[in-house]
Amino acid sequence: MKKTLYIFGIGIFIFGILAFSKSYFTPIYFDVPKGFPKPVYDFKNNPLTEEGFELGRKLFYDPILSKDNTISCAVCHLQQTGFTHVDHDLSHGIDGKIGTRNSLTLQNLAWSKNFMWDGGVNHLDVQAIAPITSEVEMDETLENVVQKLNSNATYQKLFEIAFGTKKITGQLTLKAISQFVVTFTTANSKYDKVLKKEENFTEMEQKGYKLFQKHCASCHNEPLLASNDFKNNGLAIDPTLNDFGRMKITQNPNDSLKFKVPTLRNIEFTFPYMHDGRFKTLNEVVKHYNSGIQKSKTLAKELQKPINLSDNERVEIISFLKTLTDKEFLFNLKYGFPK
Amino acid sequence: MNKKLIYLFLCFLFFISVMAQKEKDSLYFGIKLKWKTENLELNKNYYSKNDTLQFSLLKFYVSGVEINYEDGSIYKEENSYHLIDFEYDNSKLFSISKNENKPISKIVFAIGIDSTASNSGALSGNLDLQKGMYWAWQSGYINMKIEGKSSSCKTRKNAFHFHVGGYLEPFYAMQKVEIKLNDNSNDKNQISLVMDLAKLFEEIKLSELNSIMIPGTEAMKIAILSTKLFSVE
Repeated sequence: MKKTLYIFGIGIFIFGILAFSKSYFTPIYFDVPKGFPKPVYDFKNNPLTEEGFELGRKLFYDPILSKDNTISCAVCHLQQTGFTHVDHDLSHGIDGKIGTRNSLTLQNLAWSKNFMWDGGVNHLDVQAIAPITSEVEMDETLENVVQKLNSNATYQKLFEIAFGTKKITGQLTLKAISQFVVTFTTANSKYDKVLKKEENFTEMEQKGYKLFQKHCASCHNEPLLASNDFKNNGLAIDPTLNDFGRMKITQNPNDSLKFKVPTLRNIEFTFPYMHDGRFKTLNEVVKHYNSGIQKSKTLAKELQKPINLSDNERVEIISFLKTLTDKEFLFNLKYGFPK
Repeated sequence: MNKKLIYLFLCFLFFISVMAQKEKDSLYFGIKLKWKTENLELNKNYYSKNDTLQFSLLKFYVSGVEINYEDGSIYKEENSYHLIDFEYDNSKLFSISKNENKPISKIVFAIGIDSTASNSGALSGNLDLQKGMYWAWQSGYINMKIEGKSSSCKTRKNAFHFHVGGYLEPFYAMQKVEIKLNDNSNDKNQISLVMDLAKLFEEIKLSELNSIMIPGTEAMKIAILSTKLFSVE
């Protein structure tokens, strides 16, 4: 009798070990801020877990993604500046090579239908392959990245913890990166707090907000302050780049000079501005919309009439734009370099 | 001890016979790559009416395979995405279904990847982006890659590159192919098709068309021509 109990006990013990040694995921609940629309990203196809998030975070900060192990995603996407590359009009990558566009910010990506200034990328999960394979960014192949990860014991372990398999594939690598970047939600700026009635604008900010709603919000839709649309915002073409934007993707002349309408969140820190980083300050940006619009066939209908802001009004709009800064997001340790 | 060995041996025999059975029961789909009547080889000179050319790379997707039987029934392969790579013989012959032992009237398949899969993010297996059949700066699969060189190409190293793809209208490049089979044209458990590259290169001039890297009218031209290359062996 004693022996039976003993064996039974061991059996339970082994069962317990088997049951809990199996990969055990900690799900992350994706929080949709109050007033935000339904996310575009389909979380059913890539359920967020702590383990997947941490793996994605490690990959995001790891130069293993580049050909000579020098460039990580974070080189051009710094958290403290809204995950973009500041101070360079055109972003640069491997061997100091320079690209043709200013890197976009990575913010509220769960609500994005398309990616890149020309919207050429149709899904967050396939976004990362663009910088990985770009000759001027990481100049690597996904096949090679997968090979490097597969021969790295740490990554083998992390993939097993995150996805329950030691076999690292391109699919899992991309999904892990998505699990990290899709959580970049910024919704705690002063602007958000005013909307939630937790804080108040100053008089100047309030005037700026009214002007913003009148002149800017038709493209930079609240509360994301972006849209999934492409517009020609009246920038003169730069003859050193000859970048026609969206037309390169659709080959439709009606899309000539159209670019993504980017989010304005954290705009105080995401300089320089525009697809080619031609404006260094917000003052230049507002001046452009006020009096610098170049007419052309595809110019956005919202910009056909001059805005005619006074000097004071320009200052007011800028003071409003600075309320879009979300320091909780910019300095949130969970998005920083992994411990 | 001996008994144990015999037992093991019997198990082994049984296992082998089951495996053999399984193989016999499958219907295979094979594609032979040719230049006119010869078997295609890489880095060998071929002559079209306009050009002398060599191939260095040939890869394409076959998807949505459908078998139509003479009795009117249709078998559609699920998750049907096959990547044919000239350099890997086992990619040119694959099983598609159980062998029904019924006469087959035609086989239908597509060259390339459908727009749904092209819009679905990171996929696995043959659709994994690490297969290198995917554009980066613009989402979408490359349905077919044909690369090589020809003295007619005034390009670097006389190279030609055809990367054919595109999932958005009006440049949705996936093409359907239908091949009628008659009873004596197919082996009992294998459908063998020939893909004759000469039929494509007789229709184009490499001096004029030698680099396709984006979706568009040129890619559509090659995509449409590629449907004419298949026939029953």
